[in-house]
Amino acid sequence: MITQTTQPRHKFFSPARVGAIASNTLLELTRQKVFYFLLIFALLLIGASFFMDFLRSELQFQVLKDVSLGAMSVFTWLLAVLSTAMLLPKDIEDRTLYTILAKPVPRFEYLMGKLLGVFLLLAISMLVMSAMFAAVLYIKEQVAIAGAIRDSNLTAPAQIAEVTRTIKASTFTWSLVPGIIAIYFKAMIFATLTLLISTFASSWIFTIVVSVAVYLMGHLVPVAREYWQGDNGSWLAKGVEGGVTLMFPDLQLFDLASDIVAGNVITMGLFLQTVGLGCLYIGVYAWLAYFMFAKKEL
Amino acid sequence: MTDPAISIRNLTKIYPIPFKRERVTAVHDLTLSVEPGQVYGLLGPNGSGKSTTMKILLGLVPATSGSTQIFGRDSALVESHEEVGYLPENPYFYKYLTGEETLRFYGKLCGLRGAVLRDRARELLKLVGLEDAADRRLGGYSKGMLQRIGLAQALVQEPRLLVLDEPTAGVDPAGSREIRDLILEFKSRGITVLLCSHLLGQVQEICDRIGILHKGRLVREGELDSLISIENQTQLIFENASPDLLARFEAEAEACGAKLVEKSKPHTTLERFFLEVTK
Repeated sequence: MITQTTQPRHKFFSPARVGAIASNTLLELTRQKVFYFLLIFALLLIGASFFMDFLRSELQFQVLKDVSLGAMSVFTWLLAVLSTAMLLPKDIEDRTLYTILAKPVPRFEYLMGKLLGVFLLLAISMLVMSAMFAAVLYIKEQVAIAGAIRDSNLTAPAQIAEVTRTIKASTFTWSLVPGIIAIYFKAMIFATLTLLISTFASSWIFTIVVSVAVYLMGHLVPVAREYWQGDNGSWLAKGVEGGVTLMFPDLQLFDLASDIVAGNVITMGLFLQTVGLGCLYIGVYAWLAYFMFAKKEL
Repeated sequence: MTDPAISIRNLTKIYPIPFKRERVTAVHDLTLSVEPGQVYGLLGPNGSGKSTTMKILLGLVPATSGSTQIFGRDSALVESHEEVGYLPENPYFYKYLTGEETLRFYGKLCGLRGAVLRDRARELLKLVGLEDAADRRLGGYSKGMLQRIGLAQALVQEPRLLVLDEPTAGVDPAGSREIRDLILEFKSRGITVLLCSHLLGQVQEICDRIGILHKGRLVREGELDSLISIENQTQLIFENASPDLLARFEAEAEACGAKLVEKSKPHTTLERFFLEVTK
């Protein structure tokens, strides 16, 4: 005999429901073996670290950081697009979406849960890649310090400390963190954009193609902006510029890592501006995704 | 006065065809009501509007016009879903979850948690006979097992209404009989069931009332017995009646002006026969 349980009253918003969908999405994505990306990243990192032995010493760490952060950026973007593109179509195809939405789950909570699941996956991937990156840099740093001391026959503690400080300054420093966070925000923007496209796309291939196109356009936005601004700032030019900026996020704004590796200082103001812009894009795309999904006939 | 479990009033659903001026009317001015505790069979050929009606009732598709209510609440409102459990046709669920994890997932969506959720999941697994498969992933479940876990998830928040779309589709006769028995069990507990099925024999066995949709219109609706009984004929079934007794009955009936239409031995059903020999 089934016992009578006390039914909790329905809440307009329930973090527990969103959490259940998010954790299930994370589990779903990890079962799809998306973490193979991390293996490829690890192999690339190790390969690059061997390759840098053939370069001049001052270039070694810069190249390794450039390659690693570039790979991190591409892999998290790919992970964001590929893992999000299938989520909605698969739930519709398997009819699991029907069983979820037939429960007292508002559509915005379903979307929020799915998106949070992807954000969690991206966060874990970023942490793992950052840890691998820091570990490889640390190992190379120790090898470089030992080599410098040996080759220069340094014995004085002051000289050894100076060499150590110089080498450490060119490896993993906390100044890289804003660059890594900006990469994470770029991936989150694309996850949200991909979810938006999948709410109206007829197939997941279309979703991926459009996301890739937006990625490519996102790198051309500064060029387009420059062109339109050259048009004496007419209302038409401003309108087109605004539309393009909204549709295609300026991805160069999120490329703080390149500036950091090149030795430029990223101010707190610039970092917060980048994060704020990221939140704005995520918010706008998420709202549009909800707008489309709320009206979708399933 | 209690609200009907389902109340559909003048429901119409029109689908526009993309890139064409034509429109398809899936449901046309449908009005029907299902009382609490009834098992209602919604029948009709493919494309008759059954699934669309169910989807509108569950808030998955908006109606073009008309209203749908569940226990007096607008079914388009998410809150009304607290009272409904739904099993779609050929559900897949998440293959990587075990039976128990699946029920816990759906339970969390309904606001259950902790010991209450754990106990509820175990009770339901027992009810649908999947206790031994509780820790197995759904990827390894048979079709019949998937339908049973589907029924269990539909029941997780103790809804007063179950909406079942072809619950025995693709299931073997033994599994189909088990699901039929479960529906009768739900009925005995006072749960209202809206059932969509092409298996008319099964519908006849379990439904109190039926509605037949054809091309989006409700062409017949009412109590099953009154709809299918032949008013001017009567059936008597005797046990151990001698040929002499039967001859006397026939003669008496003929003398009174009644006509004997058929004289035969009752049959068991093919389903019962099949289950007997494969037991």
